[in-house]
Amino acid sequence: MKLRVVGAVVAALTLTLAGCSEKAKSSDDGAADKNGVKTGEGVTDSKITLGALTDMTGVYASLGKSVTQAQQLWVEETNKAGGICDRQIELTVRDHGYDPQKAIGAYTELEPDVLGFTQFIGSPFVSAVESRIDGQDKGIVLPQAWSANLVGSEYVRVIGATYDVETINLIDFLLDEKRIAKGDKIGHVYFEGDYGENALAGSKHAAQEAGLTVVEQKIKPTDNDMTAQVSALKQAGVKAVVVSAGPRQAASLVGVAAATGFDVPVVGNNSAYAPQLLATQAGAALQKDYYIGSSTLPIGDAAAGPAKLSKAYGAKYPKDGLDNGVIAGYNAATVFGEALKKACESKDLTREGVGKALLTIKDFGADFGISHDFTDPAAPSTRETVVMKPDAKTPGGLKVVRPAEVAPAAESFTLKP
Amino acid sequence: MSEATKDAVAPAPAGATATGTSFTDRLRRPAPYLWLAGSVLLLLFPFYLDRFWLQAGLFAMAAAIGAIGLNLLTGSTGQLSMGHAFFLAVGAYGYCILGGESSTENGHALTGLGLPTWLAAVLAVLLAGAAGGLFSPIAGRLSGAYLGIATLALIFIGQHVLFNAGSLTGGFNGRPVPPLSLFGFTFDDAEVVVAAVPFQSSEKLWYLGLAALLASGLFARGVLRGRPGRALNAIRDHRIAAGVMGVPVARYRAGVFVLSSMYAGLAGVLLALVFQRTVPEYFGMILSLEYLAMIVIGGLGSVAGAVIGAAFVSLLPQVLTHYSDSLPLVSAPGTGGIAPGEASRYLYGAAVVAVVLFLPGGIARLKTPGEKKK
Repeated sequence: MKLRVVGAVVAALTLTLAGCSEKAKSSDDGAADKNGVKTGEGVTDSKITLGALTDMTGVYASLGKSVTQAQQLWVEETNKAGGICDRQIELTVRDHGYDPQKAIGAYTELEPDVLGFTQFIGSPFVSAVESRIDGQDKGIVLPQAWSANLVGSEYVRVIGATYDVETINLIDFLLDEKRIAKGDKIGHVYFEGDYGENALAGSKHAAQEAGLTVVEQKIKPTDNDMTAQVSALKQAGVKAVVVSAGPRQAASLVGVAAATGFDVPVVGNNSAYAPQLLATQAGAALQKDYYIGSSTLPIGDAAAGPAKLSKAYGAKYPKDGLDNGVIAGYNAATVFGEALKKACESKDLTREGVGKALLTIKDFGADFGISHDFTDPAAPSTRETVVMKPDAKTPGGLKVVRPAEVAPAAESFTLKP
Repeated sequence: MSEATKDAVAPAPAGATATGTSFTDRLRRPAPYLWLAGSVLLLLFPFYLDRFWLQAGLFAMAAAIGAIGLNLLTGSTGQLSMGHAFFLAVGAYGYCILGGESSTENGHALTGLGLPTWLAAVLAVLLAGAAGGLFSPIAGRLSGAYLGIATLALIFIGQHVLFNAGSLTGGFNGRPVPPLSLFGFTFDDAEVVVAAVPFQSSEKLWYLGLAALLASGLFARGVLRGRPGRALNAIRDHRIAAGVMGVPVARYRAGVFVLSSMYAGLAGVLLALVFQRTVPEYFGMILSLEYLAMIVIGGLGSVAGAVIGAAFVSLLPQVLTHYSDSLPLVSAPGTGGIAPGEASRYLYGAAVVAVVLFLPGGIARLKTPGEKKK
């Protein structure tokens, strides 16, 4: 009996559903509000919805948390100041936990309802949907990854120098400081995958330009003990080491090198450091001769931009530590906001309009020490790198040792997309 | 034991009515109408649902095919396999390598044979079967937990290869999946307008997924209801007795292992088509465990159980995330509290415990009281 009722309900439901489909094509393109601003996906008369695809439960949990909270802070500040184009900003966050099924599912879920994405962690997933972004969706996506693979799309825009350019700048710093010279060997410890391989392309280029030899050591993200790598590099007689890995690997590398009396400078990409490392046993060694490259000033810098941000962030999230994810996230959201403002001026808040607006942005972000240029989709937004050093006394654990600068070798470097 | 081979929603207990069911009798029962309504609904979904739901449905279908395969092995034969993710990967990557063109991407040279994609899909399934066949000397001899441990090795070997065989697999970033093309019809993102509704890859693949699921379900049901199914169940229940009765135990075990690998291969091909890119990270141990959770929750040993379990496990996280704004306890990411992803893990962990405690037969064995009478 019961089943028959269910059957009837299901049948009735089918009939109702068959009545009308919202998916049927309608031409709402080019809708405009009362001020003549053209709107499209994710934009209503009172609201602009942006998406953030982050990782708060997977391998990049700590980065994802900082980036997302910083972007939420930006949204709050922007809305307090009256929003953009008379509209409030809303950030829809999805946590994919670095799982491809969830990441691609989340992109598909949010894509129809948002104007663009201020954050997308996980370059494999960005690559997975890139053909959709370029082909049909055409919304701006700002990935939190600095691999050269992601450069070249008009819609997927990397903010900052790519890993290869950053590595060239870091090696240039070592040359400048006379820590290495022509004919020397340098070691490069790198992750398998696009991060490490991209950085390796940079160090090889720099080595060729400066007459150095690179000794490669490929590692897995699950390798936490760098003893074997250190002894191999020591044996090879390298004069400096580049590390393109996670914070844990960098700490192990520097710590083991110091303990075994292997006294060489170590430089790392922006992902190879976290302020939490200072509290570990490697903390002292890290503060001695370890340098990080990044495309922003450190959060603890005295300059106006970082100082203001760290204060606001500290007030909103008193329990969470400051790291460079905060700046990266805030910076990305600000870029998006800038594009929105420009798109509003030209009265076109559609995806196409915002895309065009982003292509006109130049000299952006000097607040954080580096100016970005988004006019050429085939180039990274900057080729400059700030070199920093771990320092327990500054909040955020980093202080600048060389302000933003671009090495000649990085200037001439052509990215391999 | 006969219970295990029956479909939950199929009309009535076989023992009581198998001989006396006439066509008109069947028409009086609600089940055929339910099936009909369900099928019509499934066929209509692409016209109404968003791409998000269709994609979630496709994940569920792919998972269901894989789970049917695992259920043949684990549920019906009692062989524990932890290596299911490996065979999924063989199917997914096999399809990309066979059907993709050679190209260079991000400085990696990718090898592809450029076969017609329908042929690549068929060959990928056979390849997964062959991979299972290579493992069958082990699968035929080991049973239970021992096989589970042996197959665990497959995942680790598999992932190592996926990460390092750059020219075949694309390494860490995976490789793009060529869209399937069947009789000149391509399942890609090019818009085809059907009844004013634009059909993109998800809508097109939906029907392919349904057809694949139906075919896999019917085939597995055929196997389970026939002589091989009884032999498999006999092996599960009493290996020695089965051997004494003349069932070639090792051969059957090896055979069902190959069959289950082929199911995984097909699921892998479908998954790859939905993802549009294969990523090695995905095919890890968690995936294998999820498949085991599916068949335990749905019901060991039945096709319907596998399908129900697969739908439950693969839809739950998506549904929770989608409605995370309006659910109590589950919080939006970044605000502290339980994230939707975690919540769904807890929930199906709880579901596994609840099913084992209260429904030893799984959800598929839930029956209305009236039906229990014989």
